[in-house]
Amino acid sequence: MPAYIQGRNVNLTFRPPNRGPVRALYGFDIDVNEGEFLSIVGPSGCGKSTFLNVLLGLIRPDSGDLRMHGKPIAGPGTDRAMVFQEFGLLPWRSVQHNIELGLELKGVPTETRHNVSQHFIEMVGLSGFEGHFPHELSGGMKQRVGLARALATDPDVLLMDEPFAALDAQTRDLMQVELLRIWQEARKTVLFVTHQIDEAIYLSDRVMVMTKRPGHAKKIFPIELPRPRDYEMRVTPEFNDLKLEIWHALKDEITI
Amino acid sequence: MTDQTLPNPAVPADDAVTRETFVERYRKPLLGALAVLLFFIAWQAVFLVVPFNALFISKPNLIFSGLAELVVSGELWADLAVSAVPFLYGFTAAVVVGVTIGIVMGWRVRVGYALDPLMTVFYASPLVALAPLLIVFFGVGVSGKAIIIFLLSIFPFIFNAYAGVRAVDRLLINVVRSLGGKEKDLYLKVIVPSVLPYIVAGARIAVGRGLIGVLVGEFFAASEGIGYAIAKFGDLFALDKMFACILSVMIIAVVLTEGIRWAERSAFPWRVGQ
Ligand SMILES: Nc1ncnc2c1ncn2[C@@H]1O[C@H](COP(=O)(O)OP(=O)(O)O)[C@@H](O)[C@H]1O
Ligand SMILES: [Mg+2]
Repeated sequence: MPAYIQGRNVNLTFRPPNRGPVRALYGFDIDVNEGEFLSIVGPSGCGKSTFLNVLLGLIRPDSGDLRMHGKPIAGPGTDRAMVFQEFGLLPWRSVQHNIELGLELKGVPTETRHNVSQHFIEMVGLSGFEGHFPHELSGGMKQRVGLARALATDPDVLLMDEPFAALDAQTRDLMQVELLRIWQEARKTVLFVTHQIDEAIYLSDRVMVMTKRPGHAKKIFPIELPRPRDYEMRVTPEFNDLKLEIWHALKDEITI
Repeated sequence: MTDQTLPNPAVPADDAVTRETFVERYRKPLLGALAVLLFFIAWQAVFLVVPFNALFISKPNLIFSGLAELVVSGELWADLAVSAVPFLYGFTAAVVVGVTIGIVMGWRVRVGYALDPLMTVFYASPLVALAPLLIVFFGVGVSGKAIIIFLLSIFPFIFNAYAGVRAVDRLLINVVRSLGGKEKDLYLKVIVPSVLPYIVAGARIAVGRGLIGVLVGEFFAASEGIGYAIAKFGDLFALDKMFACILSVMIIAVVLTEGIRWAERSAFPWRVGQ
């Protein structure tokens, strides 16, 4: 049986005007199981964001085969939603109206939209902030809005591109705990890009390490730590062994 | 060493913090108003020392009584009403045409590159000098004046709409596309709301230039209107009334400009402090 999300030999080269071509993905293969939490780590500029954008349907690859539910990705669709590193909130919309954006674009009636946004506002812990605007929120709160907006359209797959990278370390830790709780509650397939090995291990069922650009999968690590996971797990020997293994796979790809 | 837990002082609630006084809260406008007041007082006081000649200069007490006369007799309103017509035509046309040109320049890179230098030259040039020519072309009626106002006030709209379109955040475009937004949604949900604050900021600048257009148009050729009134009272050496008319234009300019600024702050709160 083919995997839930299946990529074979995906290639993509950017051809920016006034500059030489940049090969971002080369021979990229991936298999993602339904309901799985898969993290992708790799050196900066190796094509992680590019792959998420291809899967989201915003960029067409030059060649290769990328399918979800066995159907080729032909463009954006409400079965996938992205949580962006820089949040991507519309500054002129309140928390509630940002969260309702996807539903609005789908033509969902106001009443239903309101109920759905209310549900997710509670889920991400933003009750009482419905009427606030993004510039009045902290980074952590902004990303809660980003997460709620992605969840509101009820996608099957959640794509997260370094979603916590702009947050301070403590906020990041708390957001990871929240994300696991929400993932368990909402039961989505998650593709999570991060720079932090800790974060990848703590959250994931599997961690995929990418090569340097042009990027493709180098090694995949199953994370067989029991769930539910707690903060203390990060100081266990098993955790640290995994961390070291992944670090070894990654460090050869990093050039400074 | 053992962990040390430190005592936790009782913290007063946020709203227990002392409220600002009226003066503290409105310090900025109050200081501004005070400076205006001092200016008028100084103007008045100069003539305690310097001999006053009503043929060459006026002073605040005469100007204010002149203004009162014009208001009571209704002359001021009549002149302003006449001037308002070409202003509205010219300014409205500047909004529509200027915003359209600016958006096309921002959207079509090559159009932007091509027109940018030309527009910059026009913006910087003393268009006022063309006024006599335009009056000859378009006549002394409403249309001649409206065209001068249009030409003076269009550039802030062009440049601001142009800057606004270029400043549209690509990320937000991707957000809307990824959530299933079509071309129309990109305009309605992202581009229009991003560009709008730029256009309103352009309007704030354009108002002042448009008012100059009113005066210039009427100086050259008119038989009524506030610009004509200023020129007429000048010719008649009725300097108190001349200054009264100038003062009324200044007040209109300040009210319009500050009104737009206030609208910007309330309509686009996320841009405050940017
Ligand atoms: N729109 C683009 N035009 C040209 N080059 C791009 C574009 N987007 C990304 N790239 C280049 O492609 C490579 C991969 O980028 P990206 O996927 O963003 O990397 P990362 O793994 O850090 O997310 C980088 O070298 C980047 O500079
Ligand atoms: Mg990236």
